[in-house]
Amino acid sequence: MTAYIIRRLLLLPIIIIGVTLIIFSMVWSLGPDRLLASYIKSPEALKTPDAEERLIRKYGLDDPMPVQYFKWLGNVVKGDWGYSMVGKDGVLQSILQRFPYTLELAIYAFIPIIIVAIWLGVISAVKHNQFADQFIRVFALIGWSLPDFVFGLLLLWIFYSKLGWFPPGMVSTQFDLAMRESSWHTVTHMITFDALINGRLDIFVDALRHMALPILTLAYLWWAYLLRITRSSMLEVLRKDYIRTARAKGVPERIVIKKHAKKNAMIPVLTVAGASVIGLLGGTVFVETIFSRTGMGRFLADAASLLDYWSIIGGALFYSFILIIGNLIIDVSYALVDPRIRLN
Amino acid sequence: MDKKPLLKVQDLKTYFHTDDGLVKAVDGVSFEVYPGETLGIVGESGCGKSVTSLSVMRLLDEKGEIAGGSITFNGEDVLAIPEEKMMKIRGNDMAMIFQEPMTALNPVFTIGYQIIEAILLHQKVSSEEARAMAIDMLRKVGIPEPEKRVDEYPHELSGGMRQRAMIAMSLSCNPKILFADEPTTALDVTIQAQILELMLSLQKEYGMSIVMITHDLGVIAELAERVAVMYAGRIVEYADVVTLFKKPKHPYTWGLMNAIPKIDDEKEILYNIKGVVPDPLSFPEGCRFNTRCPLAKDKCFTDVPPLEEFEKDHFVACFRINELEEMIKSEREGELSAK
Repeated sequence: MTAYIIRRLLLLPIIIIGVTLIIFSMVWSLGPDRLLASYIKSPEALKTPDAEERLIRKYGLDDPMPVQYFKWLGNVVKGDWGYSMVGKDGVLQSILQRFPYTLELAIYAFIPIIIVAIWLGVISAVKHNQFADQFIRVFALIGWSLPDFVFGLLLLWIFYSKLGWFPPGMVSTQFDLAMRESSWHTVTHMITFDALINGRLDIFVDALRHMALPILTLAYLWWAYLLRITRSSMLEVLRKDYIRTARAKGVPERIVIKKHAKKNAMIPVLTVAGASVIGLLGGTVFVETIFSRTGMGRFLADAASLLDYWSIIGGALFYSFILIIGNLIIDVSYALVDPRIRLN
Repeated sequence: MDKKPLLKVQDLKTYFHTDDGLVKAVDGVSFEVYPGETLGIVGESGCGKSVTSLSVMRLLDEKGEIAGGSITFNGEDVLAIPEEKMMKIRGNDMAMIFQEPMTALNPVFTIGYQIIEAILLHQKVSSEEARAMAIDMLRKVGIPEPEKRVDEYPHELSGGMRQRAMIAMSLSCNPKILFADEPTTALDVTIQAQILELMLSLQKEYGMSIVMITHDLGVIAELAERVAVMYAGRIVEYADVVTLFKKPKHPYTWGLMNAIPKIDDEKEILYNIKGVVPDPLSFPEGCRFNTRCPLAKDKCFTDVPPLEEFEKDHFVACFRINELEEMIKSEREGELSAK
């Protein structure tokens, strides 16, 4: 197992070089002039006639691509990812400031997504074609076909504008002010965790209340997807010979399902669950916009609309890291579940 | 054979409600299994032989239903036993091994775990004791280095070894009856012989009964004492193995025996039973073999021939036993005159 992880980790630098090479060649293909724009803070700098050429040479923008690539890679490693127009700060700094919010929402959404989806998927498979199965399938179909912004707005209309239970935003104003006081310790940049660290249960609950609707919106979409995968995988596994073997040796049906079937059925589910993590960490533009949340999705959407390409490139680089790490975790969990993968 | 039967199946009817219609996979099957004996059930694929054993163990899937008949095991009415208690019987008193050792073992658990699980379900032993028993069992079925193998996964074992592990698992609780559903079909010939030999020696050691389900007459000849021949969901002939091989009385059995190549035979082309097994969704009226039987006539197309005792302990379900005799006789004469 350890050897397997080490082997995978050894591949990481190669993958990262590949990914950065692709990302960089995208930047490089913009040409020196476009790149120069991001180095210039005011029109004053271009006043003299040869300023443009001079600056291009100064920043090495007409150097051969490999030279520029290694220079860029060096900067990236040093933490200089360029300047973000959207974040009004360094790209890396802007990302690191917003990512915790996305991560926080992802953590809170992932837990109910996995638990409920697998639970419903297994019930659906075990009660194949019975009422519970039909009901769950309709539930999944609605989640599958309802766009997240429609569902999100619907939730907002019912639970905020009609009932006033779950407000949009990140946290209530009075708590937002409390968090700006000097006595507040910012550790994780995630409101709920920082609230617990600061011993403010009221802020913790308040932040959760603000997250309830985004969580539900995200969860419904992934439930629909994940429970269908669980259901079909479970149905397939339940037909396998080894399930009959387990029954033939007198294993109670409950354990046949919980242990013998579920462990096998989880293999395809893991892929989708992993994809859901990566998807959640990617930030969701609609959910963040509808519920007025700060996060990666909106940051990248703004960057795209402003043609803030260092932010776009930075975001792409950041996500390739997440994707790589995410896939590594998926692969490792595969190996944990399936001995055939572990040993090959 | 005047002992009390361990298992008595009477007029068993197992139907499947499929999307295409009702499949009468087993339609009125009766047989007994006595303690310590081996009963062979032979027949082509889809004749209902596997379904019969799954019915006895009550392991049918949701589409299957036991529509009639009775099953008595060890003096108990199997069909009336509550599921809770049935779980205690499965794997303990009744065990089963399957055709495909590749797929019959759970790929994500070690073989040791799978054997230990069976032991812990039925015996009051600690997990260390169960592990020792599992290793012991693996040794008994001839798996080398059982201490090491016990922690291996099914995919690390060869097909023959997997079938041995499967046998170890099914015998770990010392069952009274073992249903062996084509246990050697997926193995190559040398391994087949080893597995059969192993089963015979374990049967002697444990004194269990075996129901050997197979389409391989060679396996039957080697292992079984009595044989039931099934065709399209019914038993067509039922006799001890010597009688069945020497004096088959049903045209289907006769066809099967004739289709076995004999070592002293000079025939260029093997005999084959014309036609194919009828579609289970629409079995023919009367005798189900009537679409392929060279002797089928009148009554064969309208009435179901009952399984009747032709001689002592030799049951045949055929209206045309006498005609078969004549046919065989004329064929022999034909062969002799040809020589």
